[in-house]
Amino acid sequence: MSEGGRVSNMEIEATKHTGRFPQMIIYLGKLFRMFVFQSDWKVLPMAAIIAGLVSFAVGDSLFKTMEGTLMGTFALACVCIWNGFFNSIQVVCRERAIIKREHRSGLHISSYIVAHVIYQAVLCMAQSAITIVVLYYTKVTLPDKPLITGLAIVDLWLTIFLVTFCADMMALMVSSLTKSTTTAMTVMPFLLIFQLVFSGGFFALPEQAEPITNTTIAKWGMTSLCAQADYNSLPMVSVWNTMFKMKDVEIEGQKPVWEFLKYAEANDLKEDILIQTASYNTMPEYNFDPVVVFKCWGWLLLWTLVYIAVAVAALEFIDKDRR
Amino acid sequence: MKDITSLGLLHQIIRYVLVSIGYWGIFKKCGVKPYYSWIPLAREYHIGVCANREKEARTFTIIAALSEVLGLINNLSNKDTTFFLILAVVTLSLQIALVVYMIRIYLGLIEIFNQKKRWLLGFIFIESITTLIWGFSSKFVPGRQVSDQNAREGVKVSGTEAPVIESGLTVNIAERKIVDFFKKKVLLKDIHMNIPRGHMVLLLGGSGAGKTTYLNAVTGYEKADAVVKLDGQDIYTDYAKMKYDVGFVPQQDLMRGNDTVALTLTDAASLRLPSSVSFFKKKKRVNEVLEEFGLATVRNSLVEKLSGGQRKRLSIAMEYISDPTLFILDEPDSGLDGVVARGLFEKLRAIADQGKIVIVITHTPDRVIDLFDDVIVLAKDASRTGRLAWYGPVDEAREFFGKDTMEGILLSINQKDEGGEGKADEFVEKYTDKCQKEAG
Repeated sequence: MSEGGRVSNMEIEATKHTGRFPQMIIYLGKLFRMFVFQSDWKVLPMAAIIAGLVSFAVGDSLFKTMEGTLMGTFALACVCIWNGFFNSIQVVCRERAIIKREHRSGLHISSYIVAHVIYQAVLCMAQSAITIVVLYYTKVTLPDKPLITGLAIVDLWLTIFLVTFCADMMALMVSSLTKSTTTAMTVMPFLLIFQLVFSGGFFALPEQAEPITNTTIAKWGMTSLCAQADYNSLPMVSVWNTMFKMKDVEIEGQKPVWEFLKYAEANDLKEDILIQTASYNTMPEYNFDPVVVFKCWGWLLLWTLVYIAVAVAALEFIDKDRR
Repeated sequence: MKDITSLGLLHQIIRYVLVSIGYWGIFKKCGVKPYYSWIPLAREYHIGVCANREKEARTFTIIAALSEVLGLINNLSNKDTTFFLILAVVTLSLQIALVVYMIRIYLGLIEIFNQKKRWLLGFIFIESITTLIWGFSSKFVPGRQVSDQNAREGVKVSGTEAPVIESGLTVNIAERKIVDFFKKKVLLKDIHMNIPRGHMVLLLGGSGAGKTTYLNAVTGYEKADAVVKLDGQDIYTDYAKMKYDVGFVPQQDLMRGNDTVALTLTDAASLRLPSSVSFFKKKKRVNEVLEEFGLATVRNSLVEKLSGGQRKRLSIAMEYISDPTLFILDEPDSGLDGVVARGLFEKLRAIADQGKIVIVITHTPDRVIDLFDDVIVLAKDASRTGRLAWYGPVDEAREFFGKDTMEGILLSINQKDEGGEGKADEFVEKYTDKCQKEAG
């Protein structure tokens, strides 16, 4: 800094300015301040409310039966994606002009994005923990067999966190690519629908669409959750329930379905039948196997990194923004 | 089946040829090179230009190009695949967008030709016949011609470079051009000057005269074909280091409203000051600047709670914190009343008196003109290129333009269609002659 006098060329050459790491710390501090001053904190109670709603809707059979688990894990993955999307969808585009000014003054885009990545990771961790706490207190049966860490609840938290964080980074990417909050909020529903429809787990898709499913966060989240819940060992109730609905069907004056159900109940065969039915409907991709979970986490991390890289690359062109 | 396909193709070709012939006539009437009517995509763009809907024309051309590419891929792909179906859906969406943009462009054309809106139906349903009628009937005359700025001759250039000064800013801009949608545009040309340290300079120019382009070129933010030196050091080649010695205050107060004044300034200091400056020195500097800009009393207030004047002062303080040699402000007085604005400019004068170079754009220069040393006048010449019409002391500028006020000068160089006197070329030439004469 000169004292009103001239700065020599050598002085300017030798002067070093704040590097990427200290800049990242500055922005991280700024973001955590915003958490308090701004409305960012609201995403935490919102996560609790949404988890409560899901628990109310699908909690009864979640992680108990095959059908309930399929539906429940899909809903849980959607909740995570929703949380992640809402965390970041506006964070960059709403202050684009400010970033442009700061970039002109020496801001490194990578520092800015990494600060957001770390801050959002902390938010997602908290949201994932809140989701599990809400599920626990609303008496949802949670997986109890550990696969990776030795604690099933930690495995579950990690999956929920990775899904939320991946969705969050996707939203950060969209926010970096779009120039206004209106555009970002218009794009978001399309991405959400894509995630829901092309997850491939809940809706049956043609074989040709299989590669597309690999690009969705919902697929890897759902697969990981199903594997952790030991989906293939859970009973299947839809056949039993259908038979129960058909109990009054008469064949030559007899009610054979009713007779069968009565016999099964009287001899404690119901559970065996449910398990037997399930054994014909197992899905190898949901095997209770660490390899399956690691594969899902790997895909989620890969997409997270891709989204971060695109966000940085997109913002590097911020100087091209028109006034 | 094959016959039906051939007939369809023949129909497409005949339609393309007829529309091209019609466009040929329309382009000729509008002053656009008629051969564009035969070039796919170029004709879509130029019909939009004729319709004075250039922005829509660009989007239309891009969508049309995408649509063509997807159509081609679709024709080559297997009709029974999912891929084909997905592409077909996307192509259909693009076609819908094309129709909407086509309607916008034809509505613009109807407006330019001063015709009834019902002609739109003709363009939609019998496009080839309608374009032929519009192209060749003498009843259809456009109310406006497309002016090819590149074809026009600009005012002569001086070619006299400013000698590099050891203390101050030397600007030698030969040209600043951009390529925009396949067209070359020269935004600035032939600007040479020396601004000594301690000078406060007013940057004057009408809309589109290149004021912001000039500032961006001078600061190295958008490089031109130029040599810009600050105290003899090349800003362009040493931009990474030199940018910290240049403070640019944008027109809008671009700060986060939900942070406090002190923390906003502390973060600005951390970003802009050298890393060798200790935390305590940074803190001291922040306190000094808060005092200097009259913000000490609101140091713990949120930025969004500040008044317009306080916010502007904070925005300036964010750049001033690094004590830059070159200080540039884009309309710092916008939205401020006379008294507050005057106070702000007095502050800028004090900064210049510390040996800095202060360049300011303002749209109300006359209320504070006594505080400036020099004025730069930029004007659009006949080819719509930003040219230097004057650089020098304020009093001499009044004499040169024969006007008493800066607003009077601005009025004299503004184009007639902007409500000005349209004397830009005259003054640019006069100033060029003056420079050449002085250079011998």
